[in-house]
Amino acid sequence: MRRADAEDEPAVFRRVVLKNASPYHYMKVRLALEDESTRLSAVELKQFIVTGLSSLYGEVGAALTFDLLKYDEDTLTALLRVYSKGLVKLWSSLTLLGSYQNQDCAFRVLQVSPFLLALTGNSRELQLD
Amino acid sequence: MFGDLERTPRTLLVCERSSFLDEKNRLSSQVEQLHFNYKVSMLLPECSSAPSHLEAVFNSINSFYLIRKLPIHELLDKHFLETAVHQGRVSGLSYGTRIDEDNCVALMPNGHLSLSLDKDSFEVLGVEGKPSRFNQRTNSRFVVSVDLTDSSMAPGGRGYQRLVTGLKSRLQLKTDFLLSHPPGCGASLHAFLSRYDWSEHKPEIRSHTLTDLSSPLLTSDLQSCDPRRLLEWLGAVDAHVSCENSSSSFLSSLVCPEPRTRLSQALSVSVCGLLRPQDVQQLIQQIRCYLEQPRLENWVSLTVHGFVDSPVSWGGEEHGVLRGGDNFYSLLMFHDHTYQLHLATGAHDTCPP
Repeated sequence: MRRADAEDEPAVFRRVVLKNASPYHYMKVRLALEDESTRLSAVELKQFIVTGLSSLYGEVGAALTFDLLKYDEDTLTALLRVYSKGLVKLWSSLTLLGSYQNQDCAFRVLQVSPFLLALTGNSRELQLD
Repeated sequence: MFGDLERTPRTLLVCERSSFLDEKNRLSSQVEQLHFNYKVSMLLPECSSAPSHLEAVFNSINSFYLIRKLPIHELLDKHFLETAVHQGRVSGLSYGTRIDEDNCVALMPNGHLSLSLDKDSFEVLGVEGKPSRFNQRTNSRFVVSVDLTDSSMAPGGRGYQRLVTGLKSRLQLKTDFLLSHPPGCGASLHAFLSRYDWSEHKPEIRSHTLTDLSSPLLTSDLQSCDPRRLLEWLGAVDAHVSCENSSSSFLSSLVCPEPRTRLSQALSVSVCGLLRPQDVQQLIQQIRCYLEQPRLENWVSLTVHGFVDSPVSWGGEEHGVLRGGDNFYSLLMFHDHTYQLHLATGAHDTCPP
């Protein structure tokens, strides 16, 4: 959706207001496993999320494309990118993913934003001892 | 059938294009209006180390104080009001409180105190306030906004007494509090601070040199990079996300926006803490000086993030968190004194200035 308020002065000033501008949403998630020493590779994690999508939304749901932008194997934290139209589907399948290779697991969604830049400046991460 | 599933909360992105040489440009006021800044990050292309004048600005950014379990009625203490609030010297907000769960407090430099309270706390406090404009079906959140410089809030007056009694005996609101002050005023606050467990903190500065980076071709004309792709690329650089993905990659298809160029190196610097808009203004001035020299790449990007849990955003307007509390702006400056400013907010925010 687009609502443009443009004020044009000769050559210099221009202002546009975009509503729901971003075609993508970005999620920062962490996988919490029963056995904390288990490690997954990036490919295994992405495949795991795809199986979650297919168990909730079927084959058509599993075809929802999302990107694993960044993955930290030590903390099992990942940055995902998905089309805004598919955010609710991806998020709900992450919520309902309960087991990985016969051990309990849970996805903790740490932050969601339509801007990747907002994921790098989360003031809730400010730790002052 | 899936219409509802495809909807996401409303977000706003304001894209402005102007020039520092234009006397009507409002950048100064837009920067000043975001009182509480958490992080400032800069990207300098084709640069390996921070220029000395920028380093000097980083080192001159004032420290801020963290006061543990501050009873909020202390912000209404007569001496504190006279020496700090009425002079427009201090600002602060509660730390470790979440705007969607807890009670949050903000004190703005113009002397406005804003309390964002849940329903029970608001009813116990017993002071005039308004329901939050972002309440959905029921009024679960209330905002009490008080101008401490107004005559009705003069110490001894009825309004003042009512608020102090409410905060002292009825609600007894105590939170950790971050307090920021202009340079040179720290000593006068020590008397106030000494009553509580307080500590001084310097903003954390981190810098990182990136090598062999693909970047969009950024020019000051109107056909420059699409703002959404530009913000995504800036986020990818800041988060150290690789943009070198082939179209057949299983993991990610994120690529740098076209048309693109290659940077042999770039410097990414970030400052985190409680920063004042005046610090941001100084950085902008120094970056403008830096850009006046001819460079390999004639642009610098500066991104400023507001606090997610602040009760107020630009200009004292109410701020909240629905799924996210984004309130940030990104400034792309060019050597010819033109700039592109992108201001972004989330669902529980009004339109940025």
